[in-house]
Amino acid sequence: MSNETVIKFENVNKQFSKLNHKTFKEFLPALIRGEKTSESFTALNDISFEIKKGETVGIIGPNGSGKSTILKLIAGVMWPTSGTIEVKGKISPLIELGAGFHPELTGKENIYLNGAILGLSQKEIEKNYKSIVDFAEIWEFIDQPVKHYSSGMYVRLAFAVAIHVHPEILIIDEILAVGDTNFQKKCFDKMEEFQKSKDITIIFVSHSLSQVESFCTRAIYLNHHQIQYSGSTTEANKRYLSDQNK
Amino acid sequence: MFQLFSEIKAIHKWRELLWQMVGREVKARYKQSILGYFWVILNPLAQMLVMSFAFSIIMRIPTNAASNIPYSIFLFVALLPWTLFSNSLSSATASLVSSGSLITKIYFPRTILVISTIIAKIIDFLFASSILIIYMIIYHIPINTNILWIFPIFFIQQIFTLGLSLFFAAANLLYRDIQYLLSMILLLWMYLTPVIFPADLVPERYRFVFQLNPMAVIVNAYRQVILGGGVPKYSSLIVATLLSIVILLLGLRYFKSREKIFADNI
Repeated sequence: MSNETVIKFENVNKQFSKLNHKTFKEFLPALIRGEKTSESFTALNDISFEIKKGETVGIIGPNGSGKSTILKLIAGVMWPTSGTIEVKGKISPLIELGAGFHPELTGKENIYLNGAILGLSQKEIEKNYKSIVDFAEIWEFIDQPVKHYSSGMYVRLAFAVAIHVHPEILIIDEILAVGDTNFQKKCFDKMEEFQKSKDITIIFVSHSLSQVESFCTRAIYLNHHQIQYSGSTTEANKRYLSDQNK
Repeated sequence: MFQLFSEIKAIHKWRELLWQMVGREVKARYKQSILGYFWVILNPLAQMLVMSFAFSIIMRIPTNAASNIPYSIFLFVALLPWTLFSNSLSSATASLVSSGSLITKIYFPRTILVISTIIAKIIDFLFASSILIIYMIIYHIPINTNILWIFPIFFIQQIFTLGLSLFFAAANLLYRDIQYLLSMILLLWMYLTPVIFPADLVPERYRFVFQLNPMAVIVNAYRQVILGGGVPKYSSLIVATLLSIVILLLGLRYFKSREKIFADNI
């Protein structure tokens, strides 16, 4: 494992302002009366961690603990309220079911669209096209609109595109729960191949503790918007389970 | 200004995505319809026919004192760019919200969502314009080289549209009321723009409104160069150009200042 840090969070706080009054009808009177129109709630509280190149880090924790917020901060779609975040390298997030897809377009058209969203050029997609469809195993449906796809086929296509981006940081959020067992195995094989190459950092968010344990080199356990534990996967899982059973 | 250049650079870098997004808009829209893309032509044609009937046969709005141009052409020359403006603005305003799932997942210049929507509307507009051309040939409307003015006029219109779109799209993400407010504004705006009536029908003392409204200047300019065979009124056009550039810079500035909290508000 190299010593190069690719992701670094330092004292990161993230607050969301929640509007109490979503519409003008409620908002205007409140504003006139001088009431507070928004209130903030904390999603992440003083988060600091480092991830080095080539690591596979699992992030575990109950719903609402801030896992997705961390991923969004890494992906650069959200900005922290305070603290600093450094991310080096090309990121490929596994876009959640269909987010990058247009249901009316065919599988082929969506590969090009999704590839472009992930920053691939037309040429690169053309070069990888065959291998993407091979990996997703959807040759017979490739000219069908993706709205006719099963959710498993969606995920397969999304995963296939994401890994062909040649990412330096791969973000996997829960998504593998959808594919069937065969495909899950195929994805894990592919990710293990990535792990061996030591160039790719993988962030893996899952509720399946066994997957985290078998696959990740390290885990971060998140609860109550703070990091409760960061270190070995076994220990992280143990703490998570014991907190759950309280 | 600096913001504008750095944004142009970012979009240039992501141009492949821009074209993919335009393709998505254009290809997906009429996919499950029998007439498909033909609707793009049919819609404005129907609108024009209905309005022509209402305003030239029932209400008898005169076109221009000296000309004998049929009302339908007089209307269409203004209605097409107006529809482009109004469709672009309302679709672009909704564009960030409708691509919310992308905004929360992956980084790319957000302005691409707005720009690709506008480009898709321009493509629709070009198809719809084919009817106007056919019409003009049928009615033997004379044209001369002044018609080349439509290119700079069109460019000014797009600067103006983009500036407003950036502002409304970002605002709409924070308050969804904006898109409803906008449809009301557009309805009023159409009557503050000489689309269905000639500008000189309006009493002199109210005409200053048209000076301040870039869309009025633009619509008038189209009529002058296409139907009148003349040149547009330079002073008005320069004011409209400057106003459009200011609006683009302000719109972009507002958009960029809100960009960091887009994902928080979806």
